[in-house]
Amino acid sequence: MIVENIIGAVVELATIQTIILMMIGVAGGLIAGAIPGFTIAMAVVLTLPFTFGMPASQGLATMVSVLVGGLSGGLMAGIMTGIPGTPSSVATTFDGFPMARNGEPGLALGIGVWSSFGGGIISAILLVTLAPQLARIGLEFNPWDYFMLVMFALTITASLSGKDLIKGLIAGAMGLFVCTIGEDDAAGMARFNFGSDALLQGFDFIAVLIGLFAFSQLLSDVRDPKIAGQSLTERGQIYGRIEHRRAIRTVLHHWVTVVRSALIGVFTGILPGAGGSIANILAYDQAKKISKHPEKFGTGIPEGIIAPESSNNAVEGGALITMMALGIPGDVTTAVMLGALLIHDVIPSPTFITEEPILAYSIFIAFFVATFMMIGLQSFMLRIFVLVTRVRMYVLASVILGFCGIGVFAIHNVDFDLWTLFWFGILGFLMRQFGFPLAPMILGVVLGNIAELNLARALAITTELTPFVTRPWSLLFLILAIFSAFFPLYQRHRNARQWTVVYAPAMAASVSLPMFMMGGVARPLIGIALLILSGYLVWHRTWKRPRSDTSGTS
Amino acid sequence: MQRLNQDTTVAIVLLVFCGVCFWASFDIRQPDYGVLLPSTWPRVILGVLSLLSFTYLVQSIRRDSKATSTTQETRLTSVSDWLRYWRNPLYCFGLFLAYLLMLPILGMLLAGMAFVFLLQSLLGGWHPRRLLMHAVVAILSVGGMWSVFTFGLDVMLPSGIILPSFN
Repeated sequence: MIVENIIGAVVELATIQTIILMMIGVAGGLIAGAIPGFTIAMAVVLTLPFTFGMPASQGLATMVSVLVGGLSGGLMAGIMTGIPGTPSSVATTFDGFPMARNGEPGLALGIGVWSSFGGGIISAILLVTLAPQLARIGLEFNPWDYFMLVMFALTITASLSGKDLIKGLIAGAMGLFVCTIGEDDAAGMARFNFGSDALLQGFDFIAVLIGLFAFSQLLSDVRDPKIAGQSLTERGQIYGRIEHRRAIRTVLHHWVTVVRSALIGVFTGILPGAGGSIANILAYDQAKKISKHPEKFGTGIPEGIIAPESSNNAVEGGALITMMALGIPGDVTTAVMLGALLIHDVIPSPTFITEEPILAYSIFIAFFVATFMMIGLQSFMLRIFVLVTRVRMYVLASVILGFCGIGVFAIHNVDFDLWTLFWFGILGFLMRQFGFPLAPMILGVVLGNIAELNLARALAITTELTPFVTRPWSLLFLILAIFSAFFPLYQRHRNARQWTVVYAPAMAASVSLPMFMMGGVARPLIGIALLILSGYLVWHRTWKRPRSDTSGTS
Repeated sequence: MQRLNQDTTVAIVLLVFCGVCFWASFDIRQPDYGVLLPSTWPRVILGVLSLLSFTYLVQSIRRDSKATSTTQETRLTSVSDWLRYWRNPLYCFGLFLAYLLMLPILGMLLAGMAFVFLLQSLLGGWHPRRLLMHAVVAILSVGGMWSVFTFGLDVMLPSGIILPSFN
C-alpha cells in the first residue's frame, strides 16, 4: 500500500515541468531565505498565487521546494555577513560568522549546507513514518477534542511567539474574530458586514495573510531610511565558494549532533507555534551543554553551526506532520500550505492521508527531492546571492510590494482583495510596532472556522459542556493549554519563585490523568511513566537539589 | 495632564473596538434552527478579547507608573518629528492607496509600474541616474510579473481605460 502510494506520487511528480518548477522553487527559496528581512513564510506566501493554475500536487511540490530552499538560505547571510537571513538561522551566526572571519568561509558554508541536508533528510524520514501514525490517532478525535486542540494551538502559539502572553492571546483572539466577519458557514447569516456587500463574502485568507505578514514586514524593513538605502554587501564580506569535501567529513564526524539536533527540530515543529526560531537556539544550547568544550562555542567551531542548521531544517518536517495528520498548522509557513490545500479543495484532516494518498505522498516525496535539490543548487545560488546582495533594500521592498498587489488580485480577480491586503497591511504594521506577535493572529485566522465548526458540531450532539472535560483527548488539550498559558510566567520566574518548582511535575501528573482515561495498554503505561517522572522531578527539585546545594556550599 | 502611554492607548482602542462589535452583534439575524446561533461564537470571542484587553489596560497603567520608556518613538515630541520618523511607511501606504484608486483607470500594468517607480524614487531619492534605474526596475519587474499572469497563467488582470485588454 505504502509502496503503491510512493510510486503513484513519484509518477505524479516525475514530469519535466514539475522538476523545473521545484528547482525554481528551491532556488527562489534559497535567495529569499538569504535576504535578511524576507522570511521563508513570505516567500511561500508569494509563491501561492503562481500555483493556482497548477494541479494540486504540482503546486504543493513547488511550495514545499520554496520552503526547503528558504530553510537553507538563511545560513548564507548569517555566515557571510553575521546578519541571519531568517529568525531560524540566528544561532548559525554565533559560530558561522566567526568561522568565516577566521578565514574559513567556504568550510563554514559547507558545514551549514550539509548539516541542513542531514536535518532535512532525518525530518523527511520521520515525516513519512510518523504522519500516518499520528493521523490514525487523529481519527479518534471528536468535535470536542478538535475544538480544544485549536484552543491549545492558539494558547501555545501565543505563549511561545512573544515576550508578552497577553499580547499574544489578544492577537490570537483577533485572528478568530476576523474569521467571523461575513456570512457564517452554518446558517448563512451576515455578521459584522455593516451593510457592505463586499464584506459579506468575508476576508480572503491569503490576502489577509500577505497583508499581515509580507506587507507589514516590508514596511518595517524600510522604516529606517538608512537601512532602506543599504545593500547587503555594505554590511559584510560576501564570499562565493563552498568546501564540500571537508564539510562532509566534519559533519559525518559530528553525526550525533546532527541526529540530536534534527530530533529537537522535529519535536519543536510538531508543537503548534514553536518554529525554527526556537528550535535553532534550543539545539545550539543543547549542543553547548553536552559538549566537552563549551567554552569554545561562539569562537567558530563546527558543532556551533551543525546544531542550529540541522534543527531548523528538521522543523518543517515536524510542522508538516501535524498539518497533514491533524489539519492543524504548526507555524505560519504550514498555515500557508494549509491555505494552498484549501484552495485546491483539499481539507487536511486525519483522513487526508488515507483519502488523498497520492497527494499526501507527493508532499513527502517533494520534501525529500527538494532537500537533494538544495544541495545541488546551493553552490550556484551562492553566486546569485552575491549579485542580489548588491541590490538596495528599498528596491527589493518596492518590487515585492508591486508583486504582492498582482499576486493578491490574481486569487479571485476581485478588487476587494487588494483593499483587504491594504488594511491588513496597516494592521500588521501597527501590531509589529506595538509589540503584538503576528503568528497567533495568523493561526487564529486559519483555525477560526475549524474551531467554530467543531463547536457547532459538538453542541449539535449534546448541549452539555461536560464532554470538554470528560473526553480524554479534550481534557489532555485543555490541560496542555492551561500549562502552556502559564509557561511564560514559569520561564520568567524559574528558580526564583517557589511555585515554579512544581510546574513540570504538576504538568506531568495532570497529563497522566487523560492517559489513564484513554484505556488500552500503551496509554495507561505512558500515564504510569508520567507519574513516575512527576515523582522523580518533585524528589529531585525539592529534596535532592537543596541537599546538593548545601553540600556544595559547606 | 499626564500623556497616555502607547499600551494604554492601544488597550482603550481595543476595548472600544470590542464594544462596537458587541453592539453590532445584536444586528445578526437569528435563525430558528441550530444550537450554536450565528452571534454566539463572535460574542464569546469578543468577551475573551474584552477581558484580555482590560488586563492589558491594567498592566499598561501599572507598568507606566513603574518605568518610563526611552525608545526613540517616545522621544518624538512634534508632529514633524513623528512624520519624519514614520516617513517611509507613510509613503508606502499613501502610494499603495493611490495605486488602488488609480487601478480602474490605469489598469494593473501601468498602475503597478507607476507604483513601483514612485515608491523606489520616494524611498531612494530622485537623482537622475537613480531615476533611470528605478524606471528600468519598475518596467522589467511589473511587466514581467504581469506577462506571467496574463499570458502564462491566463489570469485576467484589470486593464483600465488607457490600454486595451490583452486577454
